[in-house]
Amino acid sequence: MSNGSSGKFSGFEREPAVRVFASELRESRIQFKESEDEKSPSYVLLPTGERCNRIFLCGQMTQKEKKGEQNKFYTIRVQDPTGTFFINAGSYQPDAMQQIARIEPPVYVAVLGKPGIRTTADSSVFVSVRAESVTEIDLETYRCWVLDCAQQTLDRLDSFGQTDDSRKAKEFYNTNTAIYRQIIQDALTQIEIQ
Amino acid sequence: METIPEVVERISQKIEAKGVTVDREKVRSKLTLLVEEFGIQIEEAERTVTNELLREHNLFTPPSSGQEERAISDVTPGDWVTVEGKIVSLAEPPSSAIAQSGIIADSSGAVQFVVWAKAKAPTLKERTWYRLEAAVVDEYRGAPNLKVHSGTKVTELPEDRPLMPSVVPIASLKPGVGSIRAKFIEEWEPRHDRMLQTGLLGDESGRIKFVLWKDGEREKLEPNGVYTFYYATVDEFNGRLSLNLGTAMYIPEDGDIRVSTGGETIQGAFVHMGPGSGLIKRCPVEGCNRVLSRQNYCPVHEIQSSFRYDLRIKGVIDNGKKARNVLMQCETVTQLAGMTLEQAIEIAENNPLGLDDVLIQLQHHVMGKYLRCAGSDIDGTFLVKECGRVQCDASLHASLINRAAASQGDDAA
Repeated sequence: MSNGSSGKFSGFEREPAVRVFASELRESRIQFKESEDEKSPSYVLLPTGERCNRIFLCGQMTQKEKKGEQNKFYTIRVQDPTGTFFINAGSYQPDAMQQIARIEPPVYVAVLGKPGIRTTADSSVFVSVRAESVTEIDLETYRCWVLDCAQQTLDRLDSFGQTDDSRKAKEFYNTNTAIYRQIIQDALTQIEIQ
Repeated sequence: METIPEVVERISQKIEAKGVTVDREKVRSKLTLLVEEFGIQIEEAERTVTNELLREHNLFTPPSSGQEERAISDVTPGDWVTVEGKIVSLAEPPSSAIAQSGIIADSSGAVQFVVWAKAKAPTLKERTWYRLEAAVVDEYRGAPNLKVHSGTKVTELPEDRPLMPSVVPIASLKPGVGSIRAKFIEEWEPRHDRMLQTGLLGDESGRIKFVLWKDGEREKLEPNGVYTFYYATVDEFNGRLSLNLGTAMYIPEDGDIRVSTGGETIQGAFVHMGPGSGLIKRCPVEGCNRVLSRQNYCPVHEIQSSFRYDLRIKGVIDNGKKARNVLMQCETVTQLAGMTLEQAIEIAENNPLGLDDVLIQLQHHVMGKYLRCAGSDIDGTFLVKECGRVQCDASLHASLINRAAASQGDDAA
C-alpha cells in the first residue's frame, strides 16, 4: 500500500525546499521543465546533482533596495558562510514584499523562494531567488540552517553519480566534488556552537 | 466458409451427444437470423446458438479452467474459480444490474461477491453454504471481487461447516474483507446524512477510520468499547484504508486494548503559514464547530450572532526532502509561540490590525524556525501533539566537519 501523498490520485504534492549554499547556487546554469505544460514546475539543476523548484536559505541580510517606478520591487542580498544570495520580490509576491518592507538590515533572515537563472544583455549569467517569504530569525536558527545545509549537501555529494539528476549534473557541470566538500568544511568552521 | 446446414448439423450433434433431442429447424432459423439478418460471423453465431441451447436444456458446463477449486484467500483478479463458502453477509445491491451483493467466506478468508441480475442465479441465503463453479474474479476498488454470472453454477450445500474467521491486526488489513479486534478510540462528527457513526478504531498494531451507514438496523458503537468485527469491508481511497462496517458483524468484548499511538516525530523548518491560521471563530451550534468566515458565516448554519474563539496554526514543515502539512491546536501554539488564547483575543480586540496582528506575531515566532513535532498523520495532515524548537547540536557540528574533511581525499583521487 502506498502512503497518502504518493497515492495515484493524491494530485498535488508541494515541492520540498532544497537546502543549498550560495556558492553552489551561483554555479547553477541549467533550468528545465519536465513537460511543455505552462503550469508544470520549473527546476534548477544544482552542480551537486539535485533538481530544485524551491529552496530554503538563511543568512545575514546585508542590503535592501527598492527598485522600479510603476512596478515596484525589492532586491535584497543575503550572506551565508559561502557567498551571497540575490533575492527579489515584486508585486506578484505581496507577502514577501510586505515582510521585506518591515525588515531593516543587518539582521538574520530565513528565505523561502524559487531559484531562477537568467542571462543578462552582456551575456553573463545571473542566478537569483524570487522570494515567497522572508522572515527575521535569530542566530540559533541561522546556525541550525548551516548544519542542515551542510548535511544535505554532503548527502548529495555522497550519492553523486548514483542518481539520474547527479549523472546529468556530472555531464553538464563536470562537478569537482572535493571542492564542494572544502566549501562545506569552511562554512562549518565559520560558525561556533557551544 | 462453412455453410449454414453444416453448422446446424454440427450444433445439433453436439447437443444430442448430451442425450437431448434437437429441433434442427429451430437451430437453422436461429442461425440464419444471426448470420443473415444481423450479419454476425458464422463462428460467433455458432457459439451463441450452442450456448443458448445448452442453457435451454440446463446442460451448460463452464470452461474447464473454472473447475479449479480454490481457497477463498487465494483468489486473485483475472481468475476463473470454483469456491465453496458461506454467505456471511448480504448488502443492498447498489444497482439494478446487480441481483445480490455481499461477502462469502471459507475458513481461509472472505471475499466480496456480486451476483449479476442477468445471471438468473438462485437467490443466495445468508448463513448458508454454497458451491460456486466458474465464477470470475475481478478487481473492484483495489480489492478482489467474485462475480457470479450466467455461466456460474450455484449449488446449495446441505451441511453447515464450522467457520472461524481469522482476526488480524489492523496493520495487516488489505483492501477486501477483514476481521479485527479493536477499540473504538475516537468518535467524529458524521459528515453525511446517511452516516450513523464514524471515527477511529485502534489495536496494538495501528488505527483505522471506520464508517457505519444508516442502512438497515445497525447499533452504534460505545466510545472506548472493545469489539470484535467480523467481515468488515476494507476500502482503499487515496492510498488510505477505511473500514465499512455495513457488512460487518460486531460483538462487544471484555478487556482493554493498548492502542498504538501511531505516533511519529518529524523535524524540519517551518516554511509556510497557511490560510486559516491564527485566531479563528467557530460556529457555536451544538456539534458543528466549523470555522466561521470573517463575516461570521458558517457554511452550514449561515450567519451566527455569537461564536467561540480558537487559536491554531496550519502550515508546512519542510525537511528538504518532503514538505508536510501540519496542524497545531491552541495548546501547541501557546507552547511554541508563547501566546495564549486570551492574549490572542486581547490583541485582536484592542489592536487596529485585529486578527492580522495575531497572525503577524505568530509568524514572527515560527516562520523559518527549525521545529521538532510529535504527533500523527491523519489524511495527509500531521496533527501536532507536542512541539519544540530544535537546538543546534555541537556533536552534529563536529561530525559534519569530520565527514566533509574525511572524504575529500577520496573524491580527489
